[in-house]
Amino acid sequence: MRRAKKIGLLLLVIFIAIQFLQPARNKSGQVMPTDISRTVPVSPAVSALLKTGCYDCHSNNTNYPWYATVQPIGWIVNGHIQKGKAELNFSEFGSYTIRRQKSKLKSIANQVNDNSMPLASYTFIHKNAKLSKEDKALIIDWATQTNEAISTKQ
Amino acid sequence: MKNTFMCMAIVAIALSACNNNTTEEKKTNDTTNSAATAAPVTGGSSVKDIVEHYLHIKNALTKDDGKEAANGGKALADVFAKFDQSSLTAEQKKTFTDIQADAKEHAEHISVNAEKIAHQREHFATLSKDVYDLVKTLGGGQTLYNDFCPMYNNNKGATWLSETKDIKNPYLGKTMPTCGTVKETIQ
Ligand code: HEC
Repeated sequence: MRRAKKIGLLLLVIFIAIQFLQPARNKSGQVMPTDISRTVPVSPAVSALLKTGCYDCHSNNTNYPWYATVQPIGWIVNGHIQKGKAELNFSEFGSYTIRRQKSKLKSIANQVNDNSMPLASYTFIHKNAKLSKEDKALIIDWATQTNEAISTKQ
Repeated sequence: MKNTFMCMAIVAIALSACNNNTTEEKKTNDTTNSAATAAPVTGGSSVKDIVEHYLHIKNALTKDDGKEAANGGKALADVFAKFDQSSLTAEQKKTFTDIQADAKEHAEHISVNAEKIAHQREHFATLSKDVYDLVKTLGGGQTLYNDFCPMYNNNKGATWLSETKDIKNPYLGKTMPTCGTVKETIQ
């Protein structure tokens, strides 16, 4: 009994201690000139879908849920953001080469078509980020058409 | 109490340390790898190496072998990173850097998705375009065939490069091994 109490206390202390290890916030608060909406045509409907469904992990601005301030959840969230941004950053899309822009647009269509994005762990909590069949078609068509419209300057 | 604090500190450090060092880890891995496997005489890799590892991925995909494709992807990312640009003209360098940034990413994705062959194939489709542009700019060092499969990706189609004239389809694999046609022969 005393042992169990000790372990319980230890876990509690660890839990409290790790709350002080907050990862840096991903929040620039401004729309970058290199944002995708300033690089290629994005309809308001598509833009809204990307913002609710993808920007939390794929831009320089995350809308943090309250529980992201609780560790270790915040670390997991932060891991997704770091990895997601390295793959694709909508805030910096304009700084990509034409080849990479085309390549990313193709990946977006593929990922949405395969139901790989948004991540399931994300839509599980953010129900409004779940893409309907129509939403998916909208994003896929936009990504495909934009990809075709960007000419490879070669 | 002292012990409790020690444990706490150790756990906290361990947890925070394992959180964000994936890229770091990759880098050190890369350097140890290149130190161990770098050829003694030649400094960097050539188009020949790129084509070789690209074909390695292609041939693995024709056999539906995601694991082997992943091995090829790793090797390809490596030779892209170590490419020797010293013999290129300024114009060629520009094209190469452009292709390299994209192709290396696709190779990496192929290397880490051994269990998801459909995803490997998506990246292989874009990679094929990159390598096609590369051999058109710098020469492939061997005869290559640019093949086209009209059925892949909901009939949107995709191309790939092959070292043989016979069609062996890397997108449909064993389900439709001979689907496709030669569109261009690159000498
Ligand atoms: C919860 C965070 C999260 C959300 C939300 C999210 N992503 Fe991702 N995304 C990631 C992570 C992490 C990766 C990299 C790891 C991986 O490949 O699974 C990634 C990778 C990608 C990639 C590159 C994958 C590849 O293999 O080419 C694309 C494209 C992408 N996401 C598009 C999207 C789109 C489009 C949306 C919105 C519809 C979205 N993502 C929403 C976290 C997220």
